[in-house]
Amino acid sequence: MDGPSPPQPPLPAPFTHTHPAPTLLTQGAEALLYCTYFLTPSHPCALKYRPSKPYRNPILDKRLTRHRILSEARTLVKCRREGVSVPGVLALDAEGDGVSGGWMMMEWVEGKTVREVLVAGAKRRKEGRDDEDGWEEGVTALMGKIGRAVGRMHEVGVVHGDLTTSNIMLGPLAAPQQNGVTTNGEHMEQVGEGLGGEIVLIDFGLAGQSLQDEDKAVDLYVLERAFGSTHPEAEEGFQEVLKVYEESYKGAKVVLKRLEDVRMRGRKRSLLG
Amino acid sequence: MISLGLEGSANKLGVGLIQHPKSGGPAAILSNIRHTFVSPPGEGFLPKDTAKHHRSHVIRLVKQAIKEAGVKVEDIDCISYTRGPGMGAPLQSVAIAARTLALLWNKSLVGVNHCIGHIEMGREITGASNPVVLYVSGGNTQVIAYASQRYRIFGEALDIAVGNCLDRFARTLRISNDPAPGYNIEQMAKKGGCLVDLPYAVKGMDCSFSGILASIDILAEKLEKRKGEGEKGWRDEGTGELVTREDLCFSLQETVFAMLVEITERAMAHVGSRQVLIVGGVGSNERLQEMMGIMARDRGGSVFATDERFCIDNGIMIAHAGLLAYRTGEVTRLEDSTCTQRFRTDEVFVKWRD
Amino acid sequence: MAALQTLHLAHLPPDLAVHVALYTDVRNASFLRDQLLQGNPDFEYALVDASVILSTTHALAAVFRAANDHLKGRLKSRNVHSEIVFSLGANNNIAQSLRTFGITPTTTNLLAIKLSTDPSITSSTISEHLSASIQGIQVEFNDAKLAGLNNIAKIRKLYKLGGVGEEGSKGKRRRKDGTVESSGLVDGTAAKDAERERRELEVAILGLMALRGAV
Repeated sequence: MDGPSPPQPPLPAPFTHTHPAPTLLTQGAEALLYCTYFLTPSHPCALKYRPSKPYRNPILDKRLTRHRILSEARTLVKCRREGVSVPGVLALDAEGDGVSGGWMMMEWVEGKTVREVLVAGAKRRKEGRDDEDGWEEGVTALMGKIGRAVGRMHEVGVVHGDLTTSNIMLGPLAAPQQNGVTTNGEHMEQVGEGLGGEIVLIDFGLAGQSLQDEDKAVDLYVLERAFGSTHPEAEEGFQEVLKVYEESYKGAKVVLKRLEDVRMRGRKRSLLG
Repeated sequence: MISLGLEGSANKLGVGLIQHPKSGGPAAILSNIRHTFVSPPGEGFLPKDTAKHHRSHVIRLVKQAIKEAGVKVEDIDCISYTRGPGMGAPLQSVAIAARTLALLWNKSLVGVNHCIGHIEMGREITGASNPVVLYVSGGNTQVIAYASQRYRIFGEALDIAVGNCLDRFARTLRISNDPAPGYNIEQMAKKGGCLVDLPYAVKGMDCSFSGILASIDILAEKLEKRKGEGEKGWRDEGTGELVTREDLCFSLQETVFAMLVEITERAMAHVGSRQVLIVGGVGSNERLQEMMGIMARDRGGSVFATDERFCIDNGIMIAHAGLLAYRTGEVTRLEDSTCTQRFRTDEVFVKWRD
Repeated sequence: MAALQTLHLAHLPPDLAVHVALYTDVRNASFLRDQLLQGNPDFEYALVDASVILSTTHALAAVFRAANDHLKGRLKSRNVHSEIVFSLGANNNIAQSLRTFGITPTTTNLLAIKLSTDPSITSSTISEHLSASIQGIQVEFNDAKLAGLNNIAKIRKLYKLGGVGEEGSKGKRRRKDGTVESSGLVDGTAAKDAERERRELEVAILGLMALRGAV
């Protein structure tokens, strides 16, 4: 990273009135993700803001912003009503005010990304702090859940377009578990709880509706590569994702066959991360 | 150390000499000359004619470049030439010239990847240390970032190159290819202002241009057909103004450049970089530079671009990249001194960078 | 008897208060509807048939959308109050949404909403006017009360959401061995299932309202 993060464009109305001001979670090229609340402070939500891009022709900019907000919302709404575990859409403004872009509010998803969970787990194991037997089985079960969630999404005809471990959340367990507390007093990590909970797929900014095996296979390929580059220790476990995926819906076998082709075409590019 | 570079992967034949001072510090450009094969309006350049052009001019250009540089043949350390990617026939004719010179003067040969030439020359001229690179030309559209000894391709055009899209639209409108079709489109676009609706084809960090070309070609046909209708002709729905050829050039530029800036920004966010370097012939377009500059400014960074001497294909960039490799001990043996139409940027092991 | 409730929705300007009153056993729905149809300025309210309102969030999400469009000068219907009723709909057909979610001559459970779009509109002026105009029993505006008044089957039908969140729907899938696995978020007792069902339905409705036909 070259120094601090880029300057943030200010949030548009009505969020100029929001108190306390929304907290920035991530800043991508297209969108900023904030944590705020929906209608009352007791209802937390995520706010995805797509600022207008001054480099673009204003007519083109408006058209793109509108199209993208509606497309993402449409995909989320479809997924949610068909039982794919994704955050629901609470509200949106695709028109903006002509200067500041558009936004969408989504349900707040509790938990951590699978990336965070796996990276933290790998670190603990490396330091020999986590030698409980449950980890391997836990990872396998997690992989199975991911396979099932992705399979369900593909079954309803949605492809994610950016399926990395950062875009898969692992929610907290419904029932409280006994916490494994590290000896390190600085941060009390909850070892035992690490791998439980429900899978929620997030960030459908590049998603679309497709029934093409190719598009679905590319989703799986992207996920496989994400495991390979970020979680080499979990790469073997990826087989479990595919195994459960294969059983999860009718068209899955054909997609896995297609995945082999996509792999063979291979590393068209060598992308890191 | 001095390197003589020969470039001829497309319709420009370039010869240049560069010197890297022993003490380090910036490279000295001793000479950099170019001769372009210009095809008539409505036509592209064909491999056969382009190769012939290069063959008939290469000796004169080499002589002139050495003369301008004021060096003797003995002072030259290596002959660098473009191995690829590019058009087969012109690449071959320049490779033959390079081999001949190497044998004649008993110099080492260094085969250079054309894209790496653009990137390294851009870095040298602008001083951008570790930028995200947008490489845009008639044959290539790539978003590149450096990581562990390779220039990695983060995004690219999935079908035709952006420059090819612009060149071919220039042919549709029968705009002059002199000095370059893209330059003439840029001048016309400055007089346009109404944005017609074109497809916008970005997928992640990749993009495609053939659908846009097909659409704008159809619009050009529509414009041509209704030209005779005068005041009753084709009017823009938003402004009510008559749509012109200039508006089509404007719309094409605004759309494809927005796509390029978008994929570049995505790569910058991905690698956490604030610098962006534009190289390749399309990189000399001032509107593209302006748009990229606004994006970079909003990210708290800056854009680096070079002028047509270095943006457009040239010999000095090949000389420079060749010398960087040569200094790490790399040479191309005569029997390996082939050329290739396909040569991906990420195939090159970049030994000279940390 | 419950009183008019004044709420401040998050993100909206503090002076744009939302006043809400919920009634049961309304006897003069016809009269009220006529005032709207005649455009009587004294009756500029969002008058919503409470039997098609799932929850407070459902109603307030429509208020939020209408208020945002009002603030940005983008209203599609006559005023911000008709826009609230329009915003409850899942498509761009204003007349249809007003018919479906607005007061009808047979409405007995009524939700009246008014925004303080002007400093002269205060809780007391509204309160006074409503008690003089609406013949019915005012009850508290909350989820429990709405749950007792609404017709879930009708709401499902209006939004074409048959099956969403229901047991055995696509949200829950049977494994080959016959056990049920949940892809939802909560599992357990019947009460929890009902709560889950309501929540799934609510989020589906909010999504459709947000898209407003852009599907």
